[in-house]
Amino acid sequence: MASQRRKRGENLVIRYLILGAWALFCLMPVLWFLSIGLRPRVEIITPQPIYWPTFSLDAWHMIWEDWPMAKYLRNSILAIFGSVLIDLVLGIPAAYSLARYQYRGRDDIAFYILSTRMMAPAIVAIPIFFLFRNAGLLDTIWALMLIYAAINLSFVTWIIRSYMLDIPKELEDAARTDGASDLRILWEIIIPAILPGIITASVIAMIFAINEFLFTLLIASTPNAYTMSVALANFTGGSDGVIYNAIALVAFLAFVPVFLVVVAIQKHLSRGLTMGAVKGG
Amino acid sequence: MGTSSLPDAGATAVAPAMALTRPKPRRRSKRLKAWFPYLLVAPAVIYLFLITLYPGVYAIIQSFHAVKFGPWQPVGFANYVKLFGDYQFWGALWNTFVIGSIALTLQCVIALTLAFYAYRDPWVQGWRIIFLVPMLFMPSAVAFIFKLAFLDARVFSDLLMRVGLIDSNLSIQSSIWMSRSLLIIADVWQWTPFLFIIFVAALQGQDEEVEEAARLDGASWAAIFWNISLPLMKPVIAVALILRGIDITTMFTNVFIITKGGPAFGTETISYFIYRTGFKFFNFGYASAASVVMLIITIIIAQFVVKRAFVSVRT
Repeated sequence: MASQRRKRGENLVIRYLILGAWALFCLMPVLWFLSIGLRPRVEIITPQPIYWPTFSLDAWHMIWEDWPMAKYLRNSILAIFGSVLIDLVLGIPAAYSLARYQYRGRDDIAFYILSTRMMAPAIVAIPIFFLFRNAGLLDTIWALMLIYAAINLSFVTWIIRSYMLDIPKELEDAARTDGASDLRILWEIIIPAILPGIITASVIAMIFAINEFLFTLLIASTPNAYTMSVALANFTGGSDGVIYNAIALVAFLAFVPVFLVVVAIQKHLSRGLTMGAVKGG
Repeated sequence: MGTSSLPDAGATAVAPAMALTRPKPRRRSKRLKAWFPYLLVAPAVIYLFLITLYPGVYAIIQSFHAVKFGPWQPVGFANYVKLFGDYQFWGALWNTFVIGSIALTLQCVIALTLAFYAYRDPWVQGWRIIFLVPMLFMPSAVAFIFKLAFLDARVFSDLLMRVGLIDSNLSIQSSIWMSRSLLIIADVWQWTPFLFIIFVAALQGQDEEVEEAARLDGASWAAIFWNISLPLMKPVIAVALILRGIDITTMFTNVFIITKGGPAFGTETISYFIYRTGFKFFNFGYASAASVVMLIITIIIAQFVVKRAFVSVRT
């Protein structure tokens, strides 16, 4: 009895040692990077790293005054929200079709949609670049919106489909015997019932859109359509070298809203990240 | 835009869905009813054709041409012949494989270990939030964190010197393996949480009574995890590793920002190879040939690995 209790105690020590060590490994670089954002530029790259820098808001003024950061922010928000909207408009009916009807080729269509997630951006980058160039969409947020929507459509469709599969069929059948049309059932019964799934899918689509880098780099070649993610890479600004404190602040600017939203949908996160394959928790 | 490519696109894979884009009588006839599910799914499928099938066909055609700035010159299989003799192409495939498999293995082992210790912990919600933090930074920002800490400001070297492990600054940029390790560490730091979140959810979703029964029989916690929980998790682990594996094999941002593929092309991934030949040297026909090879690999993996994994987890 006593030995068992001691063993449990040792287990707890190991447990918190391991979890604590990883937590430290996660947070230390983040805190250090925050300190980079809040120090003057001369204290960033030095012969000896400086761990206790002087506090300075230089970078904060720089990103708003020297760069059109408000414009980049606006570009990001428009492109991201637009793309999520496109995904929902296309993805909800598609998910409903895949979840609720029996028809020939259904599983092949479902798998085709899933498989577009595996397409490496680099493979399709060149044709898409020419497609947008010929359409005159290069350097516009419309192009970004379309491409983000395309990247996320498979995710959104599969997540929503997974939530729809959970709804008991009796719920629909009752409405159907009352004479409601399929579209009305989708709109009035299914969509309200799977709202958490729709929100989860939207949040994950939003994160992937914020993170997208390669396409944005190719499509937005002038500051006209820069988003936060690519604007960062361009703070490497030529003769000035990499302006790390500005990069750090912009990174945190993008991080805070994402973090808050993700904490809010925590319970659904694992299901969303696996496109609906893993339920619970 | 690009609609000209759609008819042949529909002919190959999902013909019924394509046929439905033609206008249909409004009356709610039996025929409409049979086609209704196709109508619902068609817009999404057509949209996805535009970014996968259209570029795929385009890349195949372009790969048989020499494309610089002027008109396309047909060259037959010349691009492919050159590609298969190009040590940089094989190098890029090898680098992608080495960096990806090491990073993925590390992430899986670490995430399983952390999930094992965290999932019955009273503060599991707190651990999840803390561990999530790296994943929620933009990948381009993470790349800069690691570039600064390891290369430009040499904080990592400095810390190692302070504890006395090394005597002088590491010259990471001149060593292939140190540069690869840097890419691996950055990926492990940012994406281990992805697997962790999924594994914890899968463990929490398992039946507690089975565990409890085994515990009453005197089985240790580790034994229960190894013999009961882990086998039950196999399908979930497969799906999680596939999703992560896809992202790792397409690794671009970190290479672009941290190493630029160097030293001596030792960290050039396949995505970066395509980017470099296409958008730096404007050798689009050649880059497309590399894209087509990668596309074929992707389709094979999708058909044989991914399909099976996603089917098994659903049942």
